[in-house]
Amino acid sequence: MSGKIGIDVGGTFTDFYYVGEEGNPHIHKTLSTPQDPSIAVVEGLREIAASLNPPMELEEFASSIDKIVHGTTVTTNATLTRTGAKSGLITTSGLRDALEMRRGIREEQYNNHYTNVVPLVPRYLRIGVGGRLDRNGDEIEPLDVDGVRDAIEHFRHQDVEAVSICLMNSFANPDHEKQVAELVRRHMPEAYLTVSSELLPTIRFYPRVSTTALNSYIGPILSRYIDRLQDRLEDIGFGGVLLIMQSNGGVMAPSVARDSAALTLLSGPAAGPGAGLVHARVHGQNKCIVVDMGGTSFEAALVDNSPVMVNEGEIDRHRLALPMLGIHTIGAGGGSIGRIDEGGLLRMGPESAGASPGPVSYGKGGEKPTCTDANLVLGYLNPDFFAGGKMSLDREAARRAVDEHIAKPLGMSIEEAAAGMYRVVCNNMAQGVREITIKRGFDPREFPMVVAGGAGPIHSCLIAAELEIPLQIVPRSSSILCAVGMLMSDLKHDFVRTFVSPMENIDWDRLTAVVEAMIDEGRSLLTSELISADNQQFFIKFDCRYLKQYHEVSFTVSREDFQNQDVAAITNAFHREHNRLYGYSLDDGKAVVEIINVRVQALGISDKPANRETVCTGQSADAALKGERSVYVPEDDAFDIVPVYDGHKMVHGNLVEGPAMIEEDTTAIFVSRDYACICDKLDSFTIYKKSREDLVASTLAAATTVEQGK
Amino acid sequence: MSKIDPILLSVYARTFKSITDEMSISLEKTARSPILCEAKDFVTGLYDAQGNMLEQTENLPILAFSLAPVCRYILDYFDGDINPGDVIFHNDVFSMGNQNNDVAVFRPIFFEDKLVAWSAVKGHQADIGGNVPGGYNPNAKEVWQEALRIPPVKVYDRGHFRKDVWDLIFANIRLEIVQHDMKAQMGACTVGDRRVVELLTKYGFDSFEAHKLALFDATKKMMEAEIASIPNGTYEGEGQIYYDGHNEGSEFTIRVKITVADKRIKFDYSATDAQTDGFVNGTFTSSASATILTFLQMVNPDMPHNEGMVKPIEMIIPEGTVLNASYPKATTFGNHLCPPNADAIIRALAPVIPDRITAGWNNLLCALTTGMDEEKGDKYVDIGFMGLKGGSGAMKGTDGYDHIGMIDASGGLLDQDYEMFEQQTPHRLVKHEYSEDSAGAGQWRGGLGVETKYIIGSHDTQFVTFGDGDFEPAFGLFGGKDGTLNSITLTYPDGTKQLPNNKDLITGVPKGTLYHQLAGGGGGYGDPQKRDRDLLKQEIRNGIISAKAARRDYGLQEEEQ
Repeated sequence: MSGKIGIDVGGTFTDFYYVGEEGNPHIHKTLSTPQDPSIAVVEGLREIAASLNPPMELEEFASSIDKIVHGTTVTTNATLTRTGAKSGLITTSGLRDALEMRRGIREEQYNNHYTNVVPLVPRYLRIGVGGRLDRNGDEIEPLDVDGVRDAIEHFRHQDVEAVSICLMNSFANPDHEKQVAELVRRHMPEAYLTVSSELLPTIRFYPRVSTTALNSYIGPILSRYIDRLQDRLEDIGFGGVLLIMQSNGGVMAPSVARDSAALTLLSGPAAGPGAGLVHARVHGQNKCIVVDMGGTSFEAALVDNSPVMVNEGEIDRHRLALPMLGIHTIGAGGGSIGRIDEGGLLRMGPESAGASPGPVSYGKGGEKPTCTDANLVLGYLNPDFFAGGKMSLDREAARRAVDEHIAKPLGMSIEEAAAGMYRVVCNNMAQGVREITIKRGFDPREFPMVVAGGAGPIHSCLIAAELEIPLQIVPRSSSILCAVGMLMSDLKHDFVRTFVSPMENIDWDRLTAVVEAMIDEGRSLLTSELISADNQQFFIKFDCRYLKQYHEVSFTVSREDFQNQDVAAITNAFHREHNRLYGYSLDDGKAVVEIINVRVQALGISDKPANRETVCTGQSADAALKGERSVYVPEDDAFDIVPVYDGHKMVHGNLVEGPAMIEEDTTAIFVSRDYACICDKLDSFTIYKKSREDLVASTLAAATTVEQGK
Repeated sequence: MSKIDPILLSVYARTFKSITDEMSISLEKTARSPILCEAKDFVTGLYDAQGNMLEQTENLPILAFSLAPVCRYILDYFDGDINPGDVIFHNDVFSMGNQNNDVAVFRPIFFEDKLVAWSAVKGHQADIGGNVPGGYNPNAKEVWQEALRIPPVKVYDRGHFRKDVWDLIFANIRLEIVQHDMKAQMGACTVGDRRVVELLTKYGFDSFEAHKLALFDATKKMMEAEIASIPNGTYEGEGQIYYDGHNEGSEFTIRVKITVADKRIKFDYSATDAQTDGFVNGTFTSSASATILTFLQMVNPDMPHNEGMVKPIEMIIPEGTVLNASYPKATTFGNHLCPPNADAIIRALAPVIPDRITAGWNNLLCALTTGMDEEKGDKYVDIGFMGLKGGSGAMKGTDGYDHIGMIDASGGLLDQDYEMFEQQTPHRLVKHEYSEDSAGAGQWRGGLGVETKYIIGSHDTQFVTFGDGDFEPAFGLFGGKDGTLNSITLTYPDGTKQLPNNKDLITGVPKGTLYHQLAGGGGGYGDPQKRDRDLLKQEIRNGIISAKAARRDYGLQEEEQ
């Protein structure tokens, strides 16, 4: 019993990555079942079992698996479609509208038709109760217990399913919230409960109340889903460990996920960056940019030793103040629609044709030209070999749509118009990569770019050219990178406490107690997830700022510096990070640095499948050559006849000079003129700028050695 | 001239926007004063070598037109003496500045030894000298009682830091934080400079110039098409200003005559009342910005913000009127003449384009508090964003936006986080909620106003109030009702009440005083009897419309409830 499976539920497909006892990986996709995603999970397992050699019965297969890591979008979808639980909020009297006000922002300032987002808890279920703590957490007025009882009675009367508690200044003292929680537990034992000082004991009322309300809104949904999933898995004989993906790139036990459901919000793409790093390491790099281009969106993330985190995000305009991977999403995908705006400029997206009706060339009723249609006109997609030949594309329909909507209005040829669509969408994606690199103080040229998603590898050369990125890596599993990443993920739990103090004047006894308490909490959580002590790691971070700044900078504090109470070293680490992010620091010794929050990340190293390295067969890719066709080459701004390779036949060491096409069932790769592609020892297609052979030196050397041995 | 590539044109447009956004993020994250980092009262922009607007990120719409005129003035002023490495400061309202506190940094961008563009950042400074900390001096009659004037001045000359000039400026400004914030603004300009040079390196100067002109042209066509959809004619409207800070009961009228002729529109303010002798006066730039932002809300919101957008718009704002004071009048209140200016424009165009205008917006009324936080042993300054945000006017098909604040910010200015408010001031927040029945009734109701109460935590506290909306509520349209009025009330510990004027300076307010502010709702649109009944019942249940008001204003029958 040692099989492991990563299962990533997407909108259209549920992806599976199975690594069996012998270590050879299996990639599988099955249609998702949005009404109950766990149906597709079991269906996919059944299909994998049947496809094995020799085939297995589902129950036999299920009992051979010791670990399933599952990524779910049920919470994200419930939030986006507003189908969460009916929940109530108990908050401080006089402040019950913070959740709906969102500090009074209107994101589109010139658009008077733009309306506020509907609050997660309607006003009649947001109840203010008396009782007050001051800014230091000292009680000014005791909690109005009768008021709390009335609120609970009201909730019961209204059939409220989940309750949130968020009181003013509770980050400094959780006592009042604890009292409320006790009453709710006693009188509404069935209700799903979220207490802000347990979920997120940090200063700033709006982010805390919003995160708390989100957790209650989706908590019951996730709990029910996990119950169903566990039942189904148990029914088929699965007796191993089930872990759930979080937005911070780590995984957690189902019991943790039930309590802190909000950790699964935006977790959809969170496994990708970790998987990307595995592929970058093959080339001696401990960092990478990971991009994923699907049908409707383009996601970009950065890994620098570990995936880069942010301390908060947003879902459907609601603030979610939990540490998560800093993944930037833009509306650019295969389905992105091209149009000419009122000023005569070509725009691509964010409107998308999605999966239905889809691009014009799908022949399912789409009328507006999409990125996929342009790719077809440009020769990047093979009309007879789309999705491995399971679907054919109508090239003439694509041409007509590009002609009518783009070429004619701009006075261009169809090919010129399609090339324009391609260039604009690549430029949009390059700007998306800028968001996670240059805007956060990283130079993209220093990072290899790992390319995932079905539509990614057609565009990556031009994106890389735009940003002067010399190395791209397209893993074999690029179309299901997240499912792979799930098996590579460790257990990860983030803790945070507000601890306001000038750096020069820290009460170390109190700070040490706060940090130790978080470490203890992490230790007991990891232990409950069956992680042994020697596989537990703890990292400390501070959020600091220069006195009177408004935004904090998060940076890692080494255990050693912390234990030695080395204020100078910690302060220097802050200056360095501030300088990296914003181009300056005030390290002249005069500027006062203050701590706002302290954080602990508890990491439980999980048991991962080994990466199997393949045998190098030399440079020649001739065996994989399957033909040639005319494609658009951006460097020439013209079409050229290029060789087409069967990607499934390319193996470690095989080298292809651009321009060339490489086709696989689920992915098409375009190697542009300035680039070449070699398969590395994990069989990834590694695309490097010609003249930068140094970046793939070890792979080239291995291939050359084999050639000489022949 | 280089040939226009329609695809490259899209790339330029997208890249310009990404540059001004990046400049904006750089400043937001590095500035220190809350008005920059929290209220984001700043604009970042790129301008061409002639001072034409290439792209802007204006976090507050009132800054929409505040840099381009200054850029042109600077070009004239230095008359060719612009060199690589120069950095120029400017705030002077009598040479195209919009408000004394809004200090701009301009950085010329050179490529192959030629001036090709400018990057610029203008931000509201926490102090700018003058008689009163923070710059709002309701007693001012001349500019010197308000602020230090900074006509265009080089703080870096060919890359050489001019310490003497720097020290002269900051010797006249109270707070050290302003030096840091101006450095942060310079940093953001450097970001813009670097990205523009990258772009030129890639595509060359000729391509840049040709595509820039093509972009202006494309945007101009967009704006012309919008204007052409308004019937030709001349339309007039008025907006009212109450109290100049000196003369009890004084009133002033803004009068606009809008002429639409095919693809062009003209805003003529010639009939507007004369300037006041207090600080309630506009500057050309603040009034032009107010006009443009109000009009922009009536057109396609996707319009790029470049020179082409303003080309078809003509503005006549005569010097000596309350919208364009002559030297050396006081003008700090100028930006806040935007709401009555917007009222005048909306009233003029409402009969012509009833589907594209809103009813009246809540006007700003604000209180700036200063005092000593004894527990922390430190002075605090609070700009009172918490209480000042009322509702916007409704429009056909859409209710007004609740708690959005004045039209010159249009939801770009956020209230403080409650817990940060209590950290940064010694006050204790008691209430901050939607104000029931504040929204002007209508088939589409106005946005809700907000009620705010806090207990003053410092002895000898000083208040500066400024604003309007306490005499005239946000107006309803086409049968819609007015919103509620603004008010501020101080209740002292001994129970006595004080109602400050809307432009007032109050000192010696004792600890324990209750501050109570009502920010009014926006005006309603259309006959309230036609409001969706289900929606109305939900609003009663949610306590934002009372059952009584539902009967009185909306005619909801007892049996319906």
